[in-house]
Amino acid sequence: MSEKKEPIIQVRNVHKQFHTLHGTVHALRGVSMDVMPGEVVLIVGPSGSGKSTLLRCINRLEAVDSGEIIVDGIPLKGARNINKVRAEVGMVFQQFNLFPDRTALDNIILAQRVVRKRSKAEAEEKARYLLAKVGIPEKADVYPGQLSGGQQQRVAIARALAMDPKIMLFDEPTSALDPEMIKEVLDVMLELAREGMTMVVVSHEMGFAKAAADRAVFMDAGQIVEEAPPEILFENPSHERTKLFLSKIL
Amino acid sequence: MPDERTRTEQQNASMLPPDAPIPEMEARGPYERFINWAADLPWWAIILGVVAVIVLYSMLTSAAYRRVLRYLTDSPETSTENLYKAVLVVGERVEIVGEYAGETGDTVVTVINQLLKNEANPTLVSKAGFLVNETPARLTLQTDSGLILLPKDNIVEEEREEIDGKVLVRVTYTQSRTVIGTITAINDKTMRIRTVDEEKETFPTSRVLSREVVETTPCDHEAEPDCQDTQIVTIQRRGETFTGTLTTLSNTNLSIALDDGGSRELKMRDVEYFTVAALTRAFSPDAVERTVTDGDTVRIGYEESDVAEDFLASLSEKDRVRVPLVYSEGEAEVELVRYDDVDALLADTANGELDGMLYIAPGPQHPQVDAWVESHPDANLAELATQVCQSGCRITVKLVDDEITGRVAAEDKDTITVVTTEPEYAEVAQADILERRKMEPGTCALNNLRGCNAGIFLTLRVTFQAYGLALIIGLIVGIMRVQTNPMTFRSKLMQTFFTSASTLYVEVVRGIPLLVILLYAGFVVSPYLRDHPINMPDVLVVVMNAILAVLNAPLKLWNSLGIAYIGDLGTFPDPIRVNLNDEQEAVLGLAFGYGAFVAEIFRAGIQSISRGQMEAARSLGMSYPQAMRYVVLPQAIRTVLPPLGNDFIAMLKDSALISVLALPDLLQLGRLYISRTFRAFEGYNSVAVLYLLMTLFLSMLVRIIERRSRLPG
Ligand SMILES: Nc1ncnc2c1ncn2[C@@H]1O[C@H](COP(=O)(O)OP(=O)(O)OP(=O)(O)O)[C@@H](O)[C@H]1O
Ligand SMILES: [Mg+2]
Repeated sequence: MSEKKEPIIQVRNVHKQFHTLHGTVHALRGVSMDVMPGEVVLIVGPSGSGKSTLLRCINRLEAVDSGEIIVDGIPLKGARNINKVRAEVGMVFQQFNLFPDRTALDNIILAQRVVRKRSKAEAEEKARYLLAKVGIPEKADVYPGQLSGGQQQRVAIARALAMDPKIMLFDEPTSALDPEMIKEVLDVMLELAREGMTMVVVSHEMGFAKAAADRAVFMDAGQIVEEAPPEILFENPSHERTKLFLSKIL
Repeated sequence: MPDERTRTEQQNASMLPPDAPIPEMEARGPYERFINWAADLPWWAIILGVVAVIVLYSMLTSAAYRRVLRYLTDSPETSTENLYKAVLVVGERVEIVGEYAGETGDTVVTVINQLLKNEANPTLVSKAGFLVNETPARLTLQTDSGLILLPKDNIVEEEREEIDGKVLVRVTYTQSRTVIGTITAINDKTMRIRTVDEEKETFPTSRVLSREVVETTPCDHEAEPDCQDTQIVTIQRRGETFTGTLTTLSNTNLSIALDDGGSRELKMRDVEYFTVAALTRAFSPDAVERTVTDGDTVRIGYEESDVAEDFLASLSEKDRVRVPLVYSEGEAEVELVRYDDVDALLADTANGELDGMLYIAPGPQHPQVDAWVESHPDANLAELATQVCQSGCRITVKLVDDEITGRVAAEDKDTITVVTTEPEYAEVAQADILERRKMEPGTCALNNLRGCNAGIFLTLRVTFQAYGLALIIGLIVGIMRVQTNPMTFRSKLMQTFFTSASTLYVEVVRGIPLLVILLYAGFVVSPYLRDHPINMPDVLVVVMNAILAVLNAPLKLWNSLGIAYIGDLGTFPDPIRVNLNDEQEAVLGLAFGYGAFVAEIFRAGIQSISRGQMEAARSLGMSYPQAMRYVVLPQAIRTVLPPLGNDFIAMLKDSALISVLALPDLLQLGRLYISRTFRAFEGYNSVAVLYLLMTLFLSMLVRIIERRSRLPG
């Protein structure tokens, strides 16, 4: 799809372990993956397979144990200004994680002012524009607690977009939502994909996958099992584990 | 923050959809709102409220309560002139300019010390001039450089010489003087110090026997035509008369409880005379020898008078002796025989008609008895004695006449006020103050709250200080307890150390009663620190002194400008002696004990902010401090404020425990008052009400904070 040769995200043989009181969990066992600029990659897999962990490693919310992740040409390990890298990578969480003590508008303005050092007027203009873009311009002065789940998630997307990220990571953005709200969030994501945003999406929404994803990745037990265009992966998977998983969710 | 609040309000206003039903008319004025609110209360709350108002009203209007409340609040005055008790060294600043012509081989340190010493003890100055004016306190001289005014105290040497009818004076004086007194007014340029306190006495005009003018100082009639001359008078006064109840009587002293509530201690030499009940008792000579047997009757005579009847009545009441008296050991009886006249009583006792007699009349002497005895030299009375009441009787005391000299400051038809010592004032320019030896807060008053050191003021001050300290301890310990975030905390060892140390502190302190902690602070830690000065390594002292010297330079410069004296940091102490006073011990004890609770609040507050908040903030590119500052802390403060407020209230109440360290806090003053007056009911009521008023006010505040920090939705 992309003409550029250099992938914007390169994940090289990444291992990640969690040490807890109950023992060690090997969440990622040698994951490698490239994402080209403008590409939309869908990650599916059973619960606990390491999908979230992979996204969190790309955003450096978790440090990797071994292997290498290069985002936009910058190796994350030992990156001097990790906050700069993070600002280029927007992340949308399953639980929205909006700041509950700030209005929708302030949620979007805050990081622009603090990280991007934009003026108040500029930040507010951008915030209003993005709220309109995600379809809820009238909710600017409302607190997250007064918004529906779908509206909250759209504010969260707008908040991430306000930083003008080159990459957007979505970690099951719709799985905490009621069915009727899922569509409004997916519509926003489809629109983003159409505009050419590089996106890595953990989701089991087939509709979105078929409409927007360039590639689907199936993960299981901390490893990438299979990678293919979504039509092929969903309709004609080559691995047994993929088949088994798909038979459960479809 | 403020713009956020206004935004909330705007948003609330705009929240109503346009087609929403019009809400019920809101009460406008505070009165209507109050009525509406009261109308919604249950009946028992209304009854309780009315009772509370009555109780409060009666407390505030009763004199007994007013006295206790005044005592508990350190008896503040509305305004005072006694702002500080001060000892100041005042003088001109001496600048040392010149070259050091050192051929002595002194070290630089010696030279500098010498210079500094000269600055600290200003050199003596010699001047000569013609005498212009002289008062007992001051000397005014005309010198080449103008008039100089010299306090005589500062003059070390003086030489006078007469030249053409003028007096040439050569003086050597110190440039600095010490001003001791009470600061009555203070601003950033000058202060007014009362160096001699006024002494005056107010007494009823009825005591004045005669008055005589001893001295008249004419006032300046040219400047002020209507002014009154100042007269110094000597007034002969009749000695005061007191009536009351005798409390103690001895050869040198006498003390009485006055009818109007006070009490007086009097020296016998000031007493001209006093009247108090006395009892004369005598026996017939036969009766002294007689043995009383069953069936006998002992006849005792007494003179009929109210005093005697009262005495017998009180005897029967107090000592449970029946009147007419019955001899308690057997069947013998006492017959009381009433006489109208002392002489007859004495005569009948002497001739054996009576076995004994009692005569109670105002004393201390009974001249009538003495006169009778004198005129009947051969009458035989055994064991005749007059005994003066030692305590509990009514007494009237007249003091000896005296005289008083001074200026009559006020006089009306009932009282007269004589000023015996006029106050003296000194004006001191702030810039001239070389050293403040002592600055102690003066009288407690509304314009001088610094002077209020007891009761409710001490309670509040200790609580505020201790709470501030507890907040600092709590914040540090609380953060140490939550440092488990792997994103920020990589060193496992440090993390374990921090969490276990802070957990140890919290668990230990929460498990010990606050009273015990306070006793530790006061009687274990503080004496230990006092007795064990901490020796500092020499290197540290040198380094610290160098740092302090640098820090002191701008402070000294500021002080030398004479705008406001702020002192300096001094030198680094070696060894460090920690000498805590009672109040500091109490503050440290309370803060240490409460730090644990505050730490738990902070921990809970920080942990209540879900990890997702931090991750969302960081995923937006914020650094850890930024995420803390803009995302986590504002939310944490919201959750933490109400419980912190509750802890403040709890601490205010627990501060009553500091009375074990002999601090005059609210409770301690209440107990002192009660032990003096035995008014336990009023005393403890007032203590409780004062605490209650403070805590009610504070919990209202907490309630408001709680409501304000609640998020919509
Ligand atoms: N912070 C953590 N500490 C300990 N274990 C963790 C942590 N985060 C993830 N894990 C473990 O790592 C494994 C992978 O977790 P991850 O959240 O990546 O799975 P997932 O594929 O996103 O699952 P789901 O579909 O349920 O979200 C799981 O076994 C999980 O228990
Ligand atoms: Mg997940």
